Amino acid sequence: MIKREMAHESTKTDDELLARLRRGDEAAFVALYRRRQGAIYRFAVHMSGSTTAAEDITQEVFLALLRQECGFDPERGTLSGYLFGIARKLVLRNLERGRADVALETEADDAAMPELAVIDDPLMDLTRREGIEALRRAVMALPRRYREVVLLCDLEELDYADAAVVLQCPIGTVRSRMHRARALLFEKLNQDRNPRLAVGPWKPMRVAI
Amino acid sequence: MTCVEFWNHLPEGGLEASPGAGHLAECAACAARWDRQQALKAGLRLVSAGMRGEEAPPRVEAGLVAAFRSQARFKRRRAASYSWRSFSWWPPVLTGASAAAATVVLAMVLMHGSHPVPASMAPVSTPHRMAPAALESADAPADRVDEDSYGPDSDFIPVPNAARIEPNEDVHLVRVEATRSAMMALGIVVSAENASDTVVADVVLGSDGMARAVRLVTNGDGSLLEEE
Repeated sequence: MIKREMAHESTKTDDELLARLRRGDEAAFVALYRRRQGAIYRFAVHMSGSTTAAEDITQEVFLALLRQECGFDPERGTLSGYLFGIARKLVLRNLERGRADVALETEADDAAMPELAVIDDPLMDLTRREGIEALRRAVMALPRRYREVVLLCDLEELDYADAAVVLQCPIGTVRSRMHRARALLFEKLNQDRNPRLAVGPWKPMRVAI
Repeated sequence: MTCVEFWNHLPEGGLEASPGAGHLAECAACAARWDRQQALKAGLRLVSAGMRGEEAPPRVEAGLVAAFRSQARFKRRRAASYSWRSFSWWPPVLTGASAAAATVVLAMVLMHGSHPVPASMAPVSTPHRMAPAALESADAPADRVDEDSYGPDSDFIPVPNAARIEPNEDVHLVRVEATRSAMMALGIVVSAENASDTVVADVVLGSDGMARAVRLVTNGDGSLLEEE
């Protein structure tokens, strides 16, 4: 019975579920939570580096949705983007408290970003388990501003417009950060394959995972 | 299209609909770079697929559902409170309605008698000049009058259908003010202009509080005494 109800809810749009949630429909709230919690939780885990913090952040995000004055405006973006926006603010607050972010985030670093260099194609490895894990580690090691754009656009498949709302920046900035993030990922993968090539903007970093 | 223009205007999705699609056929460097980007995106999709199993533990959902239920209870209670508050305009309305009803009852008393004197016939605080006949009743001890004082020869008009006063019954005389329209049954001329004007009258009450007779208080010239 419950499964049938949940299956019925899964056909509803976020906006429909939100409207019912506002009228006090618990089933709508649960359906909306189950649909969106995974992405929010993963984003929080990979941004904060802590599962405990990610749990708290996920809970806070959906509690904010329960508040009458939550401020979601369908005219400005999707509900998913709105939830990511709250999660991001909470992550930043968490990082400020814990100072757990990576130490690779200056404009000078951006300026020294290498062009995509083909040394010994590391992308060939991406079809193997180790290659996938190496890429995952590379994503997690990205500076925050690039990591968040890769998490949102590549891993959680938000479009650039939604990502721009979440990050509160122009869509062109999202595009350029994506470009730089991918360049950094290439560089990191190359470096992993040949440690002697570890030069340029990469510096020792502290990552709390 | 230059290489810079190609990368600056790269669409989010595939190249099919992009005007820069032709550039890749002309530029080997951009084509190679494009291929690497596509391979990276494919790798990221695999990373994403591997992460799909990562979800918030069930205790987060349990906590949120508890919060939702608590909030729903609070909202219901608040809604109930608001529904009572929405009736807060009733007391003044009921008061006004009561006053109107009292006026109607006064008219009924005057027309049919044997009804209690309504509250709107409150005693007039300041005595006015009284007609000679009224003075007779005013001479009665305190606010009590004899039956003779409102007998056939007096100015008192028996209230229709009112019970007769028993020989030893104590009666009370009260002076009231009432609208002309309420006194219409006593023969007062009422027009649209003066219907709401008030006149002064003496009412004889039986020991049961019922009106027995009414006398309109007049000025020396015989005109009705009107409350100022």
